[in-house]
Amino acid sequence: MDNKINLSQLADLLAQESGMSKAASEQFVKNFFDIISQSVLTDGMVKVKGLGTFKLIQMEDRESVNVNSGERFTIEGHQKISFVPDTDLKERINKPFAAFETVEITEEQAAELDKMEQQETDNTSSTKTTDNMEKSKEKEPKKELKEVKDENQKGWVKVLIWVLSGILVLALIIFLLWPVIGGNALKKADKNAKEKAPAPTVVKPEPKPAATPAPKKEEAKFTLTKGDQEKALPLFGVGDTVNYKIVGTLTVHTMEKGDMLTTIALKYYGTKKLWPYIAKYNNLKSRSFKRMPVGYKVKVPKLANK
Amino acid sequence: MNNKQFLTELSGKCQMSAEQAAGQVQALIGVMENLWQNGDSVSLSGFGVLEVKKKNERVSVNPTTGVRMLVPPKLVLTYKPSSILKDKLK
Repeated sequence: MDNKINLSQLADLLAQESGMSKAASEQFVKNFFDIISQSVLTDGMVKVKGLGTFKLIQMEDRESVNVNSGERFTIEGHQKISFVPDTDLKERINKPFAAFETVEITEEQAAELDKMEQQETDNTSSTKTTDNMEKSKEKEPKKELKEVKDENQKGWVKVLIWVLSGILVLALIIFLLWPVIGGNALKKADKNAKEKAPAPTVVKPEPKPAATPAPKKEEAKFTLTKGDQEKALPLFGVGDTVNYKIVGTLTVHTMEKGDMLTTIALKYYGTKKLWPYIAKYNNLKSRSFKRMPVGYKVKVPKLANK
Repeated sequence: MNNKQFLTELSGKCQMSAEQAAGQVQALIGVMENLWQNGDSVSLSGFGVLEVKKKNERVSVNPTTGVRMLVPPKLVLTYKPSSILKDKLK
């Protein structure tokens, strides 16, 4: 294994194989390779059956970059000797791996591969941050990379990172503070409910004689007596769904088991009849009324008199 | 230069018939193939090195469809010309 076989060793082996004298086989092997190298130079191509094809190919000029200094220089066009092994020989050499076949990668596997690659780049980036920037850039078209100056790139990356981290922090703050905000709104709603509770008992006896004109009377009373909308809303809502406009979000309600738009309206406005405002504010269509799953967040609008 | 021309030139140089030369060439290639399959490399001064190299598996992408393929590892016979031969090219 891993031995370098030279001319005389090869000649010895050939002599054993074919029964030639050592001197003759050495001469033969020498001639064999001499002719190949000679005629590649003169004819530009040699084909040896069972071994393969040696060919002279022209390499075009190309640009390259000095790894140490980063300077550009051109590699002059030159000729190169290429060797393509005979297909039979190629297959026989590759026998140990012949069982493998190229496989298509599914999307899941591709995602895993991406993760692995990212981890690798992350590992290297922890040691060199500048390297990381350049690597992440490399994923984008390489041509652009070369054109744009390094300083510009770093500036861009910094700005991007700052903006992204800012957004993240904001989102985090909102997320953390949400229970406080949401809680306040709930308390307000509770207050509404409490203030609402005694009111109907007072009002109800009055409209009993005339059922239809009752809401109008109430409306008149409250517009006169109180400007405070939140307190006014629960009572106004009775039997009247047209006379309000939406002026913002009161709170966000998370659907629980048994919750419906009407129950939410009852909870926050004191009446079931104002539910269309919630539906409108959330852009809900009639189909989705019944299908709102537990945990679905419904924005409850703040209503004001028209 | 094709195989026939090669054989006639070789037989002329070694003073043997073309058929003999063909047989010898096949024998020589057979010997070398055994060496390669054992992992040895054939190195000849003035010509170069013929050896088997292992290529690792890799992911290749079809540029038109974007389908990613996993190409398995393989053993490939490679030729590296000697510096003497390279100098003659210039």
